[in-house]
Amino acid sequence: MTDRKDGLTFSVSRRTLLAGMGAGIGVLAMPAIVRAQAETVRIGFPTPLTGPFGAEAKDQVRSAELAVKLINDKGGIAGRQVELLVRDDKLNAGEAATRTLELIEKDKVHAVVGALSSAVQLAVNEVTRARNMLYVSISQSDTINEVKDFSRYTFHEALNPHMTTAAVAKATFKKGSKVAFLVADYAYGHEMLRGFKRAAAAIGAEVVGEILHPFGAPDYSTLMPRIRSMKPDILAICNFGRDQANAIKQANDFGLKKQMQIVVPVLLHNQRIAVAPDVFEGVVGGANYYWELENSVPTAKAFNDAFRKMYGGAIPTDYGAYGFTGVTALLLGMQKAGGTDTDKVIAALQELKYDVAKGPQYFRKCDHQAVQSVLVLRSKAKADMKGADDLFEIVANDPGSEDMLRSCAELGFPT
Amino acid sequence: MSSTSHAAPAALRPPQAVGEAGFLSRWRVPLSIAVLCVLPWVLPSQALAVNVLIYGLFAVGYNLLFGYTGLLSFGHAAFFGGGAYITGMAIAHFGLGWFPAMLVGVAGSSVLAAVIGALSIRTRGIYFCMVTLALSQLVYYTALQASNWTGGENGLRGFTVAKADVLGFTVNLLDPMQKYYFLMVFAALALWFVSRVLNSPFGAAIEAVRENETRARACGYDVERTKLLSFILSGALCGVAGTMSAIHLSIVPLDALHYHTSSIVVMMTMLGGAGSFFGPFVGALVFLLIEDVASLWTSHWQLIVGVVFILFVLFLPKGIWGTLIAWRNRP
Repeated sequence: MTDRKDGLTFSVSRRTLLAGMGAGIGVLAMPAIVRAQAETVRIGFPTPLTGPFGAEAKDQVRSAELAVKLINDKGGIAGRQVELLVRDDKLNAGEAATRTLELIEKDKVHAVVGALSSAVQLAVNEVTRARNMLYVSISQSDTINEVKDFSRYTFHEALNPHMTTAAVAKATFKKGSKVAFLVADYAYGHEMLRGFKRAAAAIGAEVVGEILHPFGAPDYSTLMPRIRSMKPDILAICNFGRDQANAIKQANDFGLKKQMQIVVPVLLHNQRIAVAPDVFEGVVGGANYYWELENSVPTAKAFNDAFRKMYGGAIPTDYGAYGFTGVTALLLGMQKAGGTDTDKVIAALQELKYDVAKGPQYFRKCDHQAVQSVLVLRSKAKADMKGADDLFEIVANDPGSEDMLRSCAELGFPT
Repeated sequence: MSSTSHAAPAALRPPQAVGEAGFLSRWRVPLSIAVLCVLPWVLPSQALAVNVLIYGLFAVGYNLLFGYTGLLSFGHAAFFGGGAYITGMAIAHFGLGWFPAMLVGVAGSSVLAAVIGALSIRTRGIYFCMVTLALSQLVYYTALQASNWTGGENGLRGFTVAKADVLGFTVNLLDPMQKYYFLMVFAALALWFVSRVLNSPFGAAIEAVRENETRARACGYDVERTKLLSFILSGALCGVAGTMSAIHLSIVPLDALHYHTSSIVVMMTMLGGAGSFFGPFVGALVFLLIEDVASLWTSHWQLIVGVVFILFVLFLPKGIWGTLIAWRNRP
């Protein structure tokens, strides 16, 4: 008896539930209808807002929003306004793939820009490649250039470890210099090591040793005496983010800087701010962008001024600039193509020559890698800093050239 | 199975069988499938619905061990990720079709579960947690180092399944709705299988082990074997979820094997209600939905998820579904 009564209660609540679900479907379908009429150009932007690269990700979002605003102010893409859909990928490849699927399937984006880790960008690349979706990647990687992961829909706006290590080595290595390496034991660390070793061989520098450390290691104190015993002239620290600040800090505590020059493939603006100036003092590293470029490059000045105006005097950072150049390049391609037709935009991007923040850039035909200038920076001593943002001095600004990249044949493309 | 082939004595009937008696219990598989059928229509996106399907099944598999057998494992990412990796590698490196690849994935994760289970099953309590955690970390580091096979840190790629031929029909897996219902078939079969297992004498035996191990042993059950078999079944089900995830995302991230994945499934199971049939699915649904909606709204979404979880632990220790069932059966 009770059973039956229970069953009845359930069926009533189920009916209510179904009615609720019906209403839910209606509500969900509505925005789709409204959206179709507005005809905006939608750009998906997955980026790790939470996690260890959160600061860089927020800079990327701010720069990307600036890029969208500037294009919209000038009338958008053939009269259509542009909208940026920012999603948190949590620095997790699976999450990024899900978010990208959502952006494509639910939000019906016309292109995706973003990601800030080798693994995450490769995941997004895999999803966009299968669905013929335009993707502009703004995270460093050598793997994405190789033929195995090539997608004709993907354009790689960021530098890659091969380029930055070559530029840093050119500025610091000499024939006969002894070089030691401290390397984070993961894909990106190994790519940087490979780049440095190649440059060392070309220049004629001698490799005296390499030490691997686990990704995310807080303590490097046991490694420092080993590095000292190798007696190098140059210590190349191949890691990223917080690891970089920790490793340099401890090398400093051990007085290694007095005996050797410390170099890094990528000198990070936010990591430098996170610690005292004397920790990074004298460290040399590569970068895609530094705001003081405005003294020599007019478009950098325009970018900085627009950024300052929009964000109350703040200046853009290195990884932030990727958000700007990546989104702007894509939108320029769309403008040239007169819309969002994928094949036309690809053709336009392949032909595009652009100079939006850091001097002339273009995408190489075979692997869609952005050919662009590479900066080499030296971290300033506190006494030399003219203000809180005056962090680095520009040692070299290598203009973009395909000679910086691995050749198409080496990457596995038919020539 | 020999130890469990005789019928369970009435005294050892699972308390759940009493708890979920009646309509809900008798029709639990069709009802669950009915709920799954409407999911992609009511959730914010189909990609989220597929994730609910995958993590729901992952939690159901985990629940077989945690909720029904009473063993708290911290290493189930190994079976989830293992299933995903083996399926992906079977397609990427050996050119297998999607179905043989999925079978290989499930078989592989079952073997992995048998090995890890055999090594850990004789420990109990916190030691069991730690041994499973340590062994699953071994799997993680193996995948990290064998980068020629697994893609290492960059994750496994290059095995997108765009179309699947099923009994003469072609399913377009790039279409989110077709993909959802395609994968739902596997989830439905797995749910039916779990229900059968729980209704079998073996289902009663694992709950007997959970309730009172000494007494179960005194009744003549081979406790270690029962636990091991439950461990393997649980690992196999998590493997099914893993292979589904490989087909869904067309990548296998290294994070799939990370202990964080193991902890997520514990949270989902507890949130929904450990030891109930549909609870883990509810847990996965609520967990992923909060995460999805809150992270669109604010980058401090973790705060919201954390507070919700604390509230549930404090006020609904039986989980969402477990509390509902208890409330329905109140005297």
